[in-house]
Amino acid sequence: MSSSEAHAIDPHEEHAHNPHLAHHFDTIEKQDHAIRLGMWLFLGTEVLLFAGLFLGYTVYRHFYHHTWHEASRTLDLGLGALNTVVLITSSFTVAMAYYFIKKGKAGPCAAMLVVTIMFALVFLVVKSIEYRHKFQEGALPGQFYHFREVPGPGANLFYTVYFLATGLHAFHVIVGMSILIWVLVRVLKGHFSPSYYIPVELGGLYWHLVDLVWIFLFPLLYLI
Amino acid sequence: MENKAATKSATPSHGDEHAHGHGPGRYFVIWFILLGFTALTVWTGHMDLGAANLPIAITIATIKATLVVLFFMHLSEAHGSNRLVFVVSIIFVVVMMLGVFGDLLTRNPMSLPSGAPSFDVSPESHMAPHE
Amino acid sequence: MSQSDDKQPIFPAVHYLNADRGVWSWLTTIDHKRIGIMYFVSVLLAFLLGGIFAMLLRIEHLTPEPTIMGANTYNRMFTLHGVVMIFMFMIPAIPGVFGNFLLPLMLGAKDVAFPKLNLLSLYLYWIGATLAASGMIMGGTDTGWTFYAPYSTSTPTTLFPVLLGVFIMGFSSIVTGLNFIVTIHTLRAPGMGWMRIPLFVWAIYATSIIQVLATPVIGLTVMLVGIEKVGHFGLFDPTRGGDPVLFQHMFWFYSHPAVYIMVLPAMGVISEVIGAFSRKNIFGYKMIAYSSLGIAFVGFFAWGHHMFVSGQSVLDNGAFAAISMLVGVFTAIKVFNWVATLYKGSIAVKTPMLYACGFLFFIVFGGMTGIAVATVSLDVHWHDTYFVVAHFHFIMVGAVIMAFLAAMHYWFPKMFGRNYHEGWGMVAASFIILGFNATFIPQFLVGNAGMPRRYFIYPERFTSLNVASTAGSSLLAFGFVIIVVYMIYALVRGPIAGDNPWASRGYEWDTASPPPKENFDHDVVIERDAHSYQQPGEEVEHVVI
Repeated sequence: MSSSEAHAIDPHEEHAHNPHLAHHFDTIEKQDHAIRLGMWLFLGTEVLLFAGLFLGYTVYRHFYHHTWHEASRTLDLGLGALNTVVLITSSFTVAMAYYFIKKGKAGPCAAMLVVTIMFALVFLVVKSIEYRHKFQEGALPGQFYHFREVPGPGANLFYTVYFLATGLHAFHVIVGMSILIWVLVRVLKGHFSPSYYIPVELGGLYWHLVDLVWIFLFPLLYLI
Repeated sequence: MENKAATKSATPSHGDEHAHGHGPGRYFVIWFILLGFTALTVWTGHMDLGAANLPIAITIATIKATLVVLFFMHLSEAHGSNRLVFVVSIIFVVVMMLGVFGDLLTRNPMSLPSGAPSFDVSPESHMAPHE
Repeated sequence: MSQSDDKQPIFPAVHYLNADRGVWSWLTTIDHKRIGIMYFVSVLLAFLLGGIFAMLLRIEHLTPEPTIMGANTYNRMFTLHGVVMIFMFMIPAIPGVFGNFLLPLMLGAKDVAFPKLNLLSLYLYWIGATLAASGMIMGGTDTGWTFYAPYSTSTPTTLFPVLLGVFIMGFSSIVTGLNFIVTIHTLRAPGMGWMRIPLFVWAIYATSIIQVLATPVIGLTVMLVGIEKVGHFGLFDPTRGGDPVLFQHMFWFYSHPAVYIMVLPAMGVISEVIGAFSRKNIFGYKMIAYSSLGIAFVGFFAWGHHMFVSGQSVLDNGAFAAISMLVGVFTAIKVFNWVATLYKGSIAVKTPMLYACGFLFFIVFGGMTGIAVATVSLDVHWHDTYFVVAHFHFIMVGAVIMAFLAAMHYWFPKMFGRNYHEGWGMVAASFIILGFNATFIPQFLVGNAGMPRRYFIYPERFTSLNVASTAGSSLLAFGFVIIVVYMIYALVRGPIAGDNPWASRGYEWDTASPPPKENFDHDVVIERDAHSYQQPGEEVEHVVI
């Protein structure tokens, strides 16, 4: 049968006993490895997706260094820092959710997921406050730009990159939140246990990616 | 079921290692460190360090990101293939940046927006490096 | 066709094609073989569509003045030819059809790692292709498949459906690549270490890496073009401080590796065909495997050679030129190994082998002209002329489509259990190889003489070469028509092929033709190397197949 396995377990028996094991995988370990590898590949694609926007940032910051320095000052550093703390903490809470479900503690896991989702909401609310400020000031991308305080070439491009980057990021926050809500529902329904918790792990990984992107966006947009 | 238990400890399974492995403490520690670095980056971001501002900010961000990836995302305990995927992605992002940035820095000033810094290396250009 | 064993070829009573019945069973299948067949039909339709656009372009170029269309129509025609051929055919074809069908079979697995994701990638392809096609019906866009800003962000033509279609087809590509990488890592049969996987699998592995990492960048880029067009945010617009060359950097960062998505699977096919039809162990298995990874990796660093005259810096020009030539080294390694495999082999002159030989000629010729255009000083003259057009058609049509046809003929018995008519196969192959040369060699000449690409008219002195090219393209088209006819006949009434009509040592031939739904009727354990025909020191066996 499977000559590469060190033990004499019968794959058919494992399929019969483990409802989560798909027919084309021999063991649950292989299947879990496959799922994790698939997830990391997907995270790789997300990294490359945001890379394009970071590239745009690099190019235009280089061209318009001084104007961008002034434009960055018009962003609300307090709110930006708050959002950073919020996301980092939410990464912590989702890591704790994963820790709890591995121990079979569905209750604390669900609590941690709820906290994470709350933090995500806070992030979005703060972001929308910031956006509203910018709309009122006229600090908008491209042709809509009419912000007198920062004149000069390249200023509109700062806000272009700002809105595109934070917009794409916010979209991912919403997607991540939705995933976590779905995972939370399944935790509450008792789907997970120490022997099966991989959806919680994957949801957490996606959320950490959202945090990672912001860890770079924050200094580049607010602190230059 | 005895067979199955034997299987689970014989072949490496992340779930079992962690269940008997580290406690939640390490997550708290990483969280505090991340908050500390956030404070550091806000503090240094305010100061005017000239050209050093950006490298410092990127360095701190990279440290924070590394901590999140290694410990919150458990890449420090993951299969080699997962680590390779992530590292290769980062390498390609860096290559993209280098290729484009190299272009920007050394383009003929006529191909750049006015006022953009340039350092034209083409032999027929008579322009000295200028800001 | 005679068998390598004495038994009568058997057509299995139950196989993947008839295991479940009804259209719904096909639309909801998670069987990688059925998904491969559906991709097959889809990409052939796409090829037909793109081919029609090509024929119309060639007919237009019969005369120096407008022949059958005006300037605006011409611009839309070459744009749509490019979009259809690249995104709807070249990129999905070999991975989607043969990768899907063969990967699990070649690994001794029951399916790919994520069968439902596989079906999703097919649906994404269909949705994206339909969107792009609907854009064409609405008048189509005229920017070229390269969508250069700032023209693309200000053209009045129908851009959004095409952009959205490309975006969604990109997702299909990412999902396929992701699936394949995980499958190769986790579903190899016992006994199959990395150095025993077939070379087609190595090629698909390298291709999938590019698909996963490069495609998001084009996704973002077309998204930005769409946003730019609506919002005028200034990202690529010089009047608002933007940089049009930045668009080109972002676009080509994907689109150059994309050409390796097209050519690497083709090279994998050729490795399989050359091994089987020279009945010899592949010479330099490891070098061919590693060179696939090498092409994938280095291919990411070479994108700027599309931008030599864009205003990019001289430093970058030189760097990109040098790196681009490095890719040629990896390709040359493969070519030498293939030729060494053929040397003193027992060559079976069959249709797949004919296409493989065509491939070898075209990859050398096309590859060398690639090195030529990678030389900055030469490309300044050739950029945006028909020389470049001929170069990339030599690779994309000459090499990749030869490989697609080789694959189609080699694996037709495996996929459908029947043999096609070998005589007609050779006739069609001759038309195609000759017709291809007749179409594109004049284009090298006329391009070198200065005829620009993407112009609907040309100076009179280029007429004879253009007429020659069009005449050649009719031969080419005729060859494809012959294939369609005898293949359809073979599907319905071809002689039964049996498990392994080619007596190939590929792992996929160790099961019935067509294979059962579960791929194998036994638990697979791999006990031999890939492409192994002789033990070390053993003589080449001369077998008539």
